[in-house]
Amino acid sequence: MSLRTAPSPVARVVTDPSRRIRSRRRLRNADLMVVLCWSSVAMAVALYLAYGGPAQVTDLASGLSALGIVTGLVGTDLILVMLVLAARLPMIDRIVGQDTAMAFHRRLGKPALYLILAHGLLLTVGYAMAAGSNVVAETVALFQGPDMALAYLGLGLLVTVVVTSVVAVRRRFPYEVWHAIHLLSYAAVLVALPHQLSAGGVLADGTVQRVYWIALYVLAFGSIALFRFIVPIVRSARHDIRVAMLEPIAPGVVSLHLTGHQLDRLQTQGGQYAIWRFWTGATWWHAHPISFSAVPTDRSARITVRSLGRGSDALGRVRPGTRVSIEGPYGIFTDAHRSTSRISVVAAGIGITPVRSLLEHAALRPGEATVLLRATDDSQSYLWNEIGALPGLRGNPIFSMVGARPHGLATWMSAEALARGVTITSVFPELLDSDLYVCGPQSWADLVIRDARAAGLPHSQIHVERFDW
Amino acid sequence: MAVHVFTTMGTTVSLRFAGTLPDPRLLRVVEAGFDAYDRRFSLYRPDSELSRVARGDLALHNASAVLRDSYADALDWRSRTAGAFTPHRPDGVIDLNGIVKAAAMAAAAARLDAAGETDWLLNVGGDILGRGDNTGAPWSIGISDPDDRTGLLCALTLDAGRTAVATSGTAERGEHVWRLHPQTPDSTAFRQVTVRAADIVTADVLATAILAGGHDHLDDWAARYPIDVLTVAADGAITATPGLQHTRGLAPA
Amino acid sequence: MRRRAIVLSILSSSAVLAAGWQLGVATQPQPVSQSLSQPTDAAAPATGTGGTTADGSTATPTPAAGTGTTAPSTAGASGTFTGTAAQTRFGAVQVQITVADGTITDVAALQLTDHDQKSVQISNRAAPVLRQEVLSAQSANVQNVSGATYTSDGYLTSLQSALDQAGL
Repeated sequence: MSLRTAPSPVARVVTDPSRRIRSRRRLRNADLMVVLCWSSVAMAVALYLAYGGPAQVTDLASGLSALGIVTGLVGTDLILVMLVLAARLPMIDRIVGQDTAMAFHRRLGKPALYLILAHGLLLTVGYAMAAGSNVVAETVALFQGPDMALAYLGLGLLVTVVVTSVVAVRRRFPYEVWHAIHLLSYAAVLVALPHQLSAGGVLADGTVQRVYWIALYVLAFGSIALFRFIVPIVRSARHDIRVAMLEPIAPGVVSLHLTGHQLDRLQTQGGQYAIWRFWTGATWWHAHPISFSAVPTDRSARITVRSLGRGSDALGRVRPGTRVSIEGPYGIFTDAHRSTSRISVVAAGIGITPVRSLLEHAALRPGEATVLLRATDDSQSYLWNEIGALPGLRGNPIFSMVGARPHGLATWMSAEALARGVTITSVFPELLDSDLYVCGPQSWADLVIRDARAAGLPHSQIHVERFDW
Repeated sequence: MAVHVFTTMGTTVSLRFAGTLPDPRLLRVVEAGFDAYDRRFSLYRPDSELSRVARGDLALHNASAVLRDSYADALDWRSRTAGAFTPHRPDGVIDLNGIVKAAAMAAAAARLDAAGETDWLLNVGGDILGRGDNTGAPWSIGISDPDDRTGLLCALTLDAGRTAVATSGTAERGEHVWRLHPQTPDSTAFRQVTVRAADIVTADVLATAILAGGHDHLDDWAARYPIDVLTVAADGAITATPGLQHTRGLAPA
Repeated sequence: MRRRAIVLSILSSSAVLAAGWQLGVATQPQPVSQSLSQPTDAAAPATGTGGTTADGSTATPTPAAGTGTTAPSTAGASGTFTGTAAQTRFGAVQVQITVADGTITDVAALQLTDHDQKSVQISNRAAPVLRQEVLSAQSANVQNVSGATYTSDGYLTSLQSALDQAGL
């Protein structure tokens, strides 16, 4: 292993204004997306107001009913937003990344459910009060209304989906089982749609409100159908990817070399990942997000996997010739998302994979990059030799840090480095003028980021690749 | 106007036409239709299919599809009316009398419609189903006064799509409607219930159900089904849903 | 730039909500609109063929004001009055009442059906009524009588048989 451990003379770094502009534009677009999301909620309520909603509030019963309608509108809007966030839209991926989108998706889950539950409860109570009957009789009567049985079914499905997604419950299921249940949310939304268009007269025929909501549904489900289902299927068919060879590179770590047609048309950026499905009897039902460990050429691509469980274990036994389908490429752990002219890279263990393709793809000049490779012991230093051999890293320092962390201390560094007084700014003297790319085990990466933030590095200059969103 | 009268199912049928009587063959077909229902469902005929089922000579699952469908309909209505309307007699016999008459009327209506008759009024023992009008004016139906066989409570019209009227009461044949809660004091129970609806089965079943079920269910079913209801309590008090509150002879209290 | 996103979201949402509220206020119909019909129309309902046209009508859903010409109001109000649309689980419902000399002679529900044109139920509560007159089959001009089921023997002495004989 030949790693340089001392930097070559640092050449003058040329600042690139276009990066900053692009980065600013991305941040602005991210803000616009957030604004759009909340404006859609406001729009749902505003349309209700515009059609004279509040004028019908004359007493407690009608007030409760009106509130019930509003909670239904807001809840449905949030659910549509959640579906779109999970639809793997390329635009959303480019601007904020799937993991951020999914984090937001998860945060909206419980509020959306509470709103829909409130919708049902408030309307039942409100109508019961107006009709002078009790809640039970009113529920029975409502159940017999047009399309209402379907609406109750949708509510039941929604409760199922949200309850199984609560972390405590989710852990009990294998991922694929939980995911299959989660896909019921599409059914929940579609099944509840008829009652929105018929019962209650809120989305009455001929109103702008009705047109708006129908357009919203068409947009949401159209995007989902296109980007979540159709595009991946077409892409996999077009590129005809197959396993060419398996290359064990360390205990429990294997690189899968893949072949296909026109793989460069995927326009994969270094550092991105895709969701892979290997069509063998044991593995077809399991979809894996795996980073590209090398930038794909026209005919070949490479991914590197560490066996973490039964699923990834089976990948190590896949036979050459196996068909592979792909969803993606996704990810913003790329050079294009840089805002400054320097990069600081920290990778540990299997985190080396996106880092390797990132560094291969980036057009780096001497002095622009500083790389730190972390491992607990020598068995975790796979692909380090390739990093060292990358032409783009000529003239850029590559540091290694091998050793276990000190017992009982929450630090990302090894005991030996810590004892020597190494800090993140001593490794990366230009840290605040650079973009930091971190990839490795979750808790370790969080510690790196903690130190970087403490040193004053803004969020916009930190890029983390998480493998478990 | 012309009227054709005949007996069937233990009662008398009056079939009135706004114009002249139609072809006698059509009338015979209508009569035969009623007789067929009677032969199958009458518990007063020992050889009817339903009697044989009641005796145990014929298992229900071996009975004809017509009988089983009719039973299924009755059970449907039983669950919809929370048991107020039920084909199950206290002694366990399946009595489809409450639904068969209306079904026979609906079948007769279909035959008359198919033959092209557009303005007629069918009265089977007090249950009425109408079509069209009486030369321009809607058919006018009197509601019998339970205390005076020769007097009327009010007169309502068959229009706006609700052309079936059924009256259920304890006056004529005695207490043949088994009450849901026999122990409720009689003063608040109903003596007579009239239901006007779009179809005769709904009118007939709900009239029976409301009579048996009493006040508790009246508002619920009146809200749920497209019907008008007129009730007479044991103490003579009359109530009506909005559609009947202004019929000839009545006014809101 | 999270703070910017939050601020812009609040601004934008408030603007949208305000616009909606304004539109709603601007298009509100008058709470009660009167239309005075000709005196003869007001008297007509008294002959008691009143009944709602509930299930047949499929009025288009507009919270419209009542139609008709305005005329100087007469003492002892008469005319047709339309109330505000009220929101029920079946959609918006408007009630139109006809008044003759201060008493309500007819109540009609302007039903707003859903887009399937399903006929919609409105509150159908039974309320006490009083007999206005002692009616006989002749005075009421009925063609048929509905009462508790009679047997064939019972028919012979019933009102219906008298009517049938008269009709024959």
